[in-house]
Amino acid sequence: MASLTVNGETYEIQSDPSTPILWLIRDVIGLKGTKYGCGIAVCGACTVLVGGVPQRSCEITIADINGAAITTIEGLSSDNSNPLQQAWIAYQVPQCGFCQPAQILRATQLITNGNVPTDEEINVTMNNICVCGTYSRMRAAIHAAAGG
Amino acid sequence: MGAERQKEDFFFEKKKQKDYIEPIGAEEEGMTRPTRPLILLSAARRNISKSLFASFSSEKEDSSFSRRTFLITGAAACGGLLIGLRGAHAAGKGPYQITVWLTVGTDGAVTIFCPSQEMGQGIYSGLAQIVAEELRTPWTTVQVAAGPLESVFVNPLLGAQMTAASSSVRGFFSVCLEAGAIARQMLIEAGAKAMGVKAKQCIAENGMVVVQATGQSISFGAVARAASRRTPPKSAKLYSANGYVLVGQSVARPEIPSKVNGTAIYGTDVVVPGMQYGAVLLCPTRGGTVASVGSPPSGSQVVNLGVGIAAVANTGPNCTTWAAMQAALQTKVTWNIPQGVDTETSKDILAEAITLLTTGTAIVAESVGDVQSAQAGAAKVLTLIYILPYLPHATLETPNCTASVTATSCEIWAPTQAPAAAQAAAAAASGLPLSAVTVNCVQMGGGLGRKLETDYVTYAVQTSQALGVPVQLVFPREQDFLQDQYRPMAVCQVTVGLEKNGSVVSWDFRNVSPSILYQRGLIQDGQLDTQATEGATDLPYAFPNLLVDWVRHPAAIPVGFWRSVGNSINAFAVECAIDEAAKAAKTDALAYRLAMLAGNARAIAVLNTAAAVGGWGTNQPGVARGLAYCESFGSLAAVVVTITESDNVIQLVNVACAVDCGMVINPNTATQQIEGGITQGLGSALWGQMQFKNAVAQTSNFDAYRMPLMADMPTIDITLLQTPGAAIGGLGEVGVPCLAPALANAWAALTGKRLRTLPLFPT
Repeated sequence: MASLTVNGETYEIQSDPSTPILWLIRDVIGLKGTKYGCGIAVCGACTVLVGGVPQRSCEITIADINGAAITTIEGLSSDNSNPLQQAWIAYQVPQCGFCQPAQILRATQLITNGNVPTDEEINVTMNNICVCGTYSRMRAAIHAAAGG
Repeated sequence: MGAERQKEDFFFEKKKQKDYIEPIGAEEEGMTRPTRPLILLSAARRNISKSLFASFSSEKEDSSFSRRTFLITGAAACGGLLIGLRGAHAAGKGPYQITVWLTVGTDGAVTIFCPSQEMGQGIYSGLAQIVAEELRTPWTTVQVAAGPLESVFVNPLLGAQMTAASSSVRGFFSVCLEAGAIARQMLIEAGAKAMGVKAKQCIAENGMVVVQATGQSISFGAVARAASRRTPPKSAKLYSANGYVLVGQSVARPEIPSKVNGTAIYGTDVVVPGMQYGAVLLCPTRGGTVASVGSPPSGSQVVNLGVGIAAVANTGPNCTTWAAMQAALQTKVTWNIPQGVDTETSKDILAEAITLLTTGTAIVAESVGDVQSAQAGAAKVLTLIYILPYLPHATLETPNCTASVTATSCEIWAPTQAPAAAQAAAAAASGLPLSAVTVNCVQMGGGLGRKLETDYVTYAVQTSQALGVPVQLVFPREQDFLQDQYRPMAVCQVTVGLEKNGSVVSWDFRNVSPSILYQRGLIQDGQLDTQATEGATDLPYAFPNLLVDWVRHPAAIPVGFWRSVGNSINAFAVECAIDEAAKAAKTDALAYRLAMLAGNARAIAVLNTAAAVGGWGTNQPGVARGLAYCESFGSLAAVVVTITESDNVIQLVNVACAVDCGMVINPNTATQQIEGGITQGLGSALWGQMQFKNAVAQTSNFDAYRMPLMADMPTIDITLLQTPGAAIGGLGEVGVPCLAPALANAWAALTGKRLRTLPLFPT
């Protein structure tokens, strides 16, 4: 039986092995902060951390991740204490909010190890769709979270 | 100019557009999808004023309150509220229902039920802060929940409980003030009784009832239970606007903490005991129906919805939405294709629209003076044709609904802009009376007009009823694109007569487009669809002779309300035509507009502000600007876009927007709405369209539907203007209409080429 480690908990998974991790997280494990947007790894709403690295979860299966641990938005902090979450609140980034957990997880890559990202790095890395158009606030929040 | 000639011009223009953009399709750094030509690239980041946001960090973070638990169990609470104003909390420790609008806990925590649905527009702060203003409770005590289906939550402007037409604050401002004041009065009366004084000796301040003479006080929490037992007064005294402490402030949005930690509940985050996941697959040909349904793959069941199927995954480890989507795709379905769909192809629909420009029956929307004679006597006549495509909504959260239908009851959980319409749809689909249908509203992952529709509610109810289990039914993204009710395509012809001095002597505006209202049976043939002409009528410009009319296009592709509706269609034609007239008059486009706005101080201020912030008139080589102005939903908006050309790459570097909405309730959410409108206006103007072939939509996912990304975004500068005493204007949609014309006008200024067809740069 396959197992999946999400936010430090290991789950035994009996589902069809071709089920994308997105749906194991949402519908089997029941963590709903990770969203479905397109199912083809384009919009990025399903972004989670796989072994600490942001990845779109709608087209990867348990077999694809070689036992790597998953972190979802629920595992980033229990109390919104992550610097990105703090900055997202301070800059009142979300509108509808549907893409935002994934945007925050995507942004973790930019500020790890004390990195202070440039605008160009933000442009390259932040490639998830936000239909509401919160881009300028996300940019400001990322700079703030990086202390830049 | 005859119809034939116009048609040729259109196709020539299209070709020119394509030819022109090819040289700038070079790959650029930062482009994440190199297969697409890069048109726009951000140059610098926007400097968001830190002071505006400084206050948010210290705001309470909603940590003690489990939004998830509340909203899910909110089903029962919402049902209870329907009983009436009081009585839901006769026993226990509270919170106590003061009126249908709010509860107060013994700790003073206030929960305000928001009559409009939250879809990103910030209405959970906007309306709640108006209620809290009169209630006189600190913002940190306020939590907000979706208002239940309830007659007092009918928007007076719309006559329905509906979140649409940028009307929430416009419709509910006075109502919310009064709701807060009435609850305050009940708390004051209860507090006065508790302190042994008369109510008129007391005021409410900071969540306390205070005896004015002595300063003695008692908290709202301490008197909540007693207040909840009082009869609400018919009315209560309102504070003067001068004394407002919350209205006009950028108070923090109460739902934001839940949106950054994943606990915000959208439609597909609802979990109902025993629920199974399902997915729709509808006939790809619009108007088609199911002819036969094969056996579903093992582990799933299929329901025939008439217009398509719903596949539902059986319980067990494979009960996932994904399994349901696969089952839908793997079930063999044959379709009845309706007659006549061979005419429902984009180029044919457009050709018919061009023909209808001259042969169609036009219905007059507005007429001033005598356009025909004025035009005959004009020194110059410009005949300009603008073409707009069908547009999908593409909300990031696809349509979905959870339904639990029994023999005697139907309960739904839906992200909906129209809870009453959803209730009616559920009743019709289930055959149960309205009173048997309970609607639970959840936040929307974007509404944009798509979630005014009830198709997804109907399918969920049908499916749950057929299988006898609760079902969460989801539109896969492909179904969302293929089964939308699109913004109507349109052809607008503007015939502008100019005097010798270049001023407009006649303005003849004709819109040919399919009708949202006619398709829904809301108007008859021969009646005007005002949605189709909004943005073309009541223009602020002083045209001495004017005729605005509309020809209904019979195309059957379903059309619907798309953020700003007719305004984003007509503003493109109007504001481009004004620009072309200014050019013909050899007059600066700003000066040309201002000259036609004499005496209209608000419009002049909005235009001048956008011009000043956007650097109008400071053009240097390789830099050009485009201007547009549009009044919609009671607000005035002007946009200046700045584009630059360097090394054969044309970039959009800045959008400056000034908006006068009369009175601003929350500057932060107001700014957010304009930012969002600009982004949506930008993406749709540059790339947005849905093409059809034989009534089948040709784009089915985001890989083929370009949306603006971080790297595409220009800097955005927004200025909010207020006009004391003016009626409050809307904000949710007013940021959209100016973008397309401002971009086209800038492009014309830079390149000398006039683009009259949207999208400007088809992908």
